[in-house]
Amino acid sequence: MAEKFHTELKNLKKDTVAMAHFARDMLRTAVDALIRQDKDLAVSVVAKKDALRDMEVKLEDRCYQLIALDQPMAKDMRIIVCTLKVVSASMRIGRYGKVIANIVKDISDKPHISHMMSIPHMADLAMEMIDDSVKAYEMDSIALISDFSARDDTIDALRHSIFREGITHMMEDPKTISRCTHYIMVARYLERCADHACKIAENVHYMNTGERIEIH
Amino acid sequence: MSESTIISTQNLNLWYNEKHALQSVSMRIPQNKVTALIGPSGCGKSTLLRCFNRLNDLIDHVKITGEITFDNENIHAPGTDVVYLRKKVGMVFQKPNPFPKSIYENIAYGPRVHGVRDKGELDRIVEQSLRHAAIWDEVKDRLNDSALGLSGGQQQRLCIARTLAVEPEVILMDEPCSALDPIATAKIENLIEMLKEEYTVIIVTHNMQQAARVSDYTGFMYLGKLIECGRTSDIFEHPKEELTENYITGRFG
Repeated sequence: MAEKFHTELKNLKKDTVAMAHFARDMLRTAVDALIRQDKDLAVSVVAKKDALRDMEVKLEDRCYQLIALDQPMAKDMRIIVCTLKVVSASMRIGRYGKVIANIVKDISDKPHISHMMSIPHMADLAMEMIDDSVKAYEMDSIALISDFSARDDTIDALRHSIFREGITHMMEDPKTISRCTHYIMVARYLERCADHACKIAENVHYMNTGERIEIH
Repeated sequence: MSESTIISTQNLNLWYNEKHALQSVSMRIPQNKVTALIGPSGCGKSTLLRCFNRLNDLIDHVKITGEITFDNENIHAPGTDVVYLRKKVGMVFQKPNPFPKSIYENIAYGPRVHGVRDKGELDRIVEQSLRHAAIWDEVKDRLNDSALGLSGGQQQRLCIARTLAVEPEVILMDEPCSALDPIATAKIENLIEMLKEEYTVIIVTHNMQQAARVSDYTGFMYLGKLIECGRTSDIFEHPKEELTENYITGRFG
């Protein structure tokens, strides 16, 4: 029985990693569509939201079933708890991808302002944090997440700088208000995605050590 | 463990002939708490339990070294009253073992042995013990019926009541639910929760979920050694020892 349970736990982890990659790709593709002002690419991201939701429900159900039928303990229990958090965080990351994709059609008619400020760079950093947190979950490794606090500080600083730069552009030229507001919102979404990566990292730490940490 | 200690062992070793069944076990049992002993078959958990009221004295070729204290007294000290010790440290076994007597006589037997003769006092002890064991309402109208006519779960609660009748401080339970169905098991588990207000309970169980549900502290034993002992929530959420982790996650045992 224990072997069957552990095989299912391994498969659950594998499929959760697949969902996390799916959600991360939604966000990456949405940001690419935004940068390239590619409306078709953005539509393809929005179309994935049902599949994402489907994965969330199925993975959660598998977690609940393992809890109900196998009453897991110790690390087995912590893996399932962490998996539920990774599933929720992935869902949010994918949804932010969809939200950013929805913005593309609104700001694709005019050229970008100031090369979208630091948004492409910020997106790369947030994406790396998501990748590392998911890899840490997959590989049972806390080494990959050891510098998350500093990386999160960088993300916060970038969001703040995009906010200030956006305000400056809007004051100089009110015609930029709509686009700059969208940029500020996108920066906020990317910051939230990095926060979700931090949440995953905190839970991976708990999964592996049994100790709770807080990444500021 | 910040709670006061009622029983403690220090470097306890036990041999059955050549077999070294308990190896340097040192642990403290906190008062008015439920402590569970878990571990694979043959790891020594029942042997350790039976040390606490010197039940192993009844087995030939047993050698014990180290110290066990109950209420700060060494229970192997010369002059220890073993009958008194077993009155204070009562025991409930795996299979319910009521005497082939009436329900009333099962409970009254212990107090009588210890000198209670007054009928009114015996009636009071019988009712109070049966109430504490959460079986009074089920048997109060048939106290003179044979105890053997009760269901397995009722018989086990009767045995607990019989233990309570001699006013113990500690109740040892050796797999008390393994012969019972889930409903009877749930009743015993609820009872254990109530009992700890007045008594200290030490329970041996092979059922880890039961240990997790009913106990405040858990000791994990393996091949005669106490591998880890601590708060139940810690043992089942993040045990310190890899061996404990592997056992409670079903990787062996």
